[in-house]
Amino acid sequence: MALRRGQKVEVFRRSGDESWEPYMDKFVGRHGIITDPDTSINDPESLVEVSLDGMGTHRLPQDCLRLLDA
Amino acid sequence: MTLTQCPVDQTLALVCRALEENSLQHPRSRRLAGQLMAMIEDVASGRAGAEHMTVLQRLAGELADFAADAAGMALGAQVREELATHREVFVSHIETQNCAAGACDRLAPSPCQMACPAGIDIPTYVALIGEGRDAEAIETIRRDNPFPWVCGLVCTRPCEFMCVRGRIDQPVSIKTLKAFAAERALSLGHYVNPPQAPPKNRKVCVIGAGPGGMSAAYYLALNGYTVRVIEALPMAGGMMMVGIPRYRLPREVIDREVAMIEALGVEFRYNTRLGQEVTFEQLRTEGFEAFFLAIGAHASFKLNIPGESDFPQVTQAIDFLKRVALGERHLPGQQVVIIGGGNVAIDAARTCLRLGCASVTMAYRRTLSEMPADVEEIEQAEEEGVQFSFLTIPVAVDGEQGVLRGLHCQRAEMVAQAGSKRMVPVPIKESEFLLRADAVISAIGQYVEKESLAELTTLPWTRRDTIQVHNATMATDLPGIFAAGDAVTGPATVVEAIGGGKRAAAAIDRYLNGLPQPSMPPVPVRHHRAAWTEVPASTKMALKRQPMPLLNMDRRRTTFQQVELGLSENMVREEARRCLRCDICRRCGLCVTICRDKMKVDALRLGYLDFDHPGPTDFRWTQEHCIGCGACATNCPNDAMQMEDRKGERIVHLCGTILSRQPVRYCDGCGEAIGTDRYNEFVRRRTHRIAPVTGDRVYCEACGRRQSILDAHDVHSMD
Repeated sequence: MALRRGQKVEVFRRSGDESWEPYMDKFVGRHGIITDPDTSINDPESLVEVSLDGMGTHRLPQDCLRLLDA
Repeated sequence: MTLTQCPVDQTLALVCRALEENSLQHPRSRRLAGQLMAMIEDVASGRAGAEHMTVLQRLAGELADFAADAAGMALGAQVREELATHREVFVSHIETQNCAAGACDRLAPSPCQMACPAGIDIPTYVALIGEGRDAEAIETIRRDNPFPWVCGLVCTRPCEFMCVRGRIDQPVSIKTLKAFAAERALSLGHYVNPPQAPPKNRKVCVIGAGPGGMSAAYYLALNGYTVRVIEALPMAGGMMMVGIPRYRLPREVIDREVAMIEALGVEFRYNTRLGQEVTFEQLRTEGFEAFFLAIGAHASFKLNIPGESDFPQVTQAIDFLKRVALGERHLPGQQVVIIGGGNVAIDAARTCLRLGCASVTMAYRRTLSEMPADVEEIEQAEEEGVQFSFLTIPVAVDGEQGVLRGLHCQRAEMVAQAGSKRMVPVPIKESEFLLRADAVISAIGQYVEKESLAELTTLPWTRRDTIQVHNATMATDLPGIFAAGDAVTGPATVVEAIGGGKRAAAAIDRYLNGLPQPSMPPVPVRHHRAAWTEVPASTKMALKRQPMPLLNMDRRRTTFQQVELGLSENMVREEARRCLRCDICRRCGLCVTICRDKMKVDALRLGYLDFDHPGPTDFRWTQEHCIGCGACATNCPNDAMQMEDRKGERIVHLCGTILSRQPVRYCDGCGEAIGTDRYNEFVRRRTHRIAPVTGDRVYCEACGRRQSILDAHDVHSMD
């Protein structure tokens, strides 16, 4: 599993995943904290819960996120 | 428009700019623009009332129609257009005192509130709990979450990850405060439902009595809808009831909060499985106009290893936990191996111990640092005696004639994937070993059972086998059918399901009233700005996160009694005082910049203000260095930093944290307050070459000038 709770991440690009909705384009460039990672099956394609600074908490695909403190 | 731009803020800037640049020529235009500015300032600062919108439209119209001033007409037309285009945003500012974009300083929700999937107004309820107003705190929480007690015990607390106090030491124990307030309010009979809207005589059916379903039912019932909840299990609660063990969440807690929902007239039909006991067609015939699917994710992934299906001693964690929750408390075996590293695996392991298993081992294919379970849960499991076998990959179940011998496993090592930093466990050759066990419980994840929804042949599903919805509304592509909770997200959290249920309830209301749906999810709403509690800087720094008292170890190993005993009243009130009130202080850092760069005093050590690179924070530093000039308070856009003179002292405080308290000096001439000694010294050092010489006496500016003239002519003042 690449992401864990409490890690700082950046939404660095749009995702091509089917779960990506147009309003999420506004999240690109935002920083946040992983609040609920992929908790069960360690699937790199599962959606993770991210709390974005000033944007609220959302489930996002992992391919649009990169770690800030890695 | 990006989320950081607010139409209210932008319209205000537009009018301000026109006035500052003197582009309006006619006095009447300037007067109208001035009035417009005052009205918009009211909206931006949360002071506007119901009539403000009407007045704004009238003023903009008057300005736009005033032909004597072309610039005024253009401005009026622009403002009128902004009001028409963004009417919802203006109304939202007025009605909710909330600026979604965070651009209107006074109205921005705090990071903890923004982080909460249910959008609870956390700073307000924490402040209320700090003052002992528990019932009001519960009332505040239940505006956004009908399960304050449940969440006070089992929430995954995303709020605490965003808590700004965590950048200083540790986050405020928000979850625990909520549990205390709910318990206290219930015990005193102060936990009551808000008033319901008059009955609408329209019916909505909720499928699934889990946290998402019941939250939707709660908000729909409050809104006057007739709600029926259909539940396959014999009791309400869903995964809260059958997935979370009683030592974490006692059944009484769920029952009491469900009873509050029942009291609103919500009808629960238990042991009723959709597609078996009842169908959509029957429900539509009964007059249900909208449906909310909250069926959860109750099916378990299989290990897909040889022998898995050959032994009844190999079970799924969710089924095991459900059986135990429903009262079947049989020992699964003496030596149990749990496969998985998530919260469900930990729950199964700790449940096994409580049932009397001699040894419980968790086999996890990665390492401790990759375990997705809560850190506290892992620690508690370890304390109770659960053993861990990391880097262990199950290969086959071993046994014969119905008797289980154990689990064949292989050692693994973490290896970086090609072209990625992602580390994956790779089996090590010839490292097989047997993990002895007479029972194996698999906890590698759950998925949504589709069978109950087979009737909805056109219901869209994602490639993750979850129900596809539009996140802003939780609406599916089928008219009148909404969904949330684990059925949409996959196995997720209680609070996320609650947030989804609340969002769906609002969307169902719009759907049934023919109103357009929003294009993005709602932003949390602040309900009001609670007063802050004054705390000395040293106390604010000294107060540490309160440790949770736990049940003694013998009982933890032998009973299902609640492990976390909760904080005492004193601990709760103290913990609440640690809150930094980020709903008021926006952490813009203007105070620090002005104190350090403009005044060259550098009396504010507030490193926590920076999200990405927090530095050291010490509120006590200010007492030693502040001169009491008030530059920070004067420039604070949100009145978070304040300076005031009280009983002969000049006090500088940040959201109630008293940073500096110094005696005020008074003019020896007229008796006016003239600041602190440090401030006067600061001024004297910079002006001694040009300022009047007045010896040791302390004067205000006017008296100093007068006395200087008298001294220069060697004339002594009569007084």
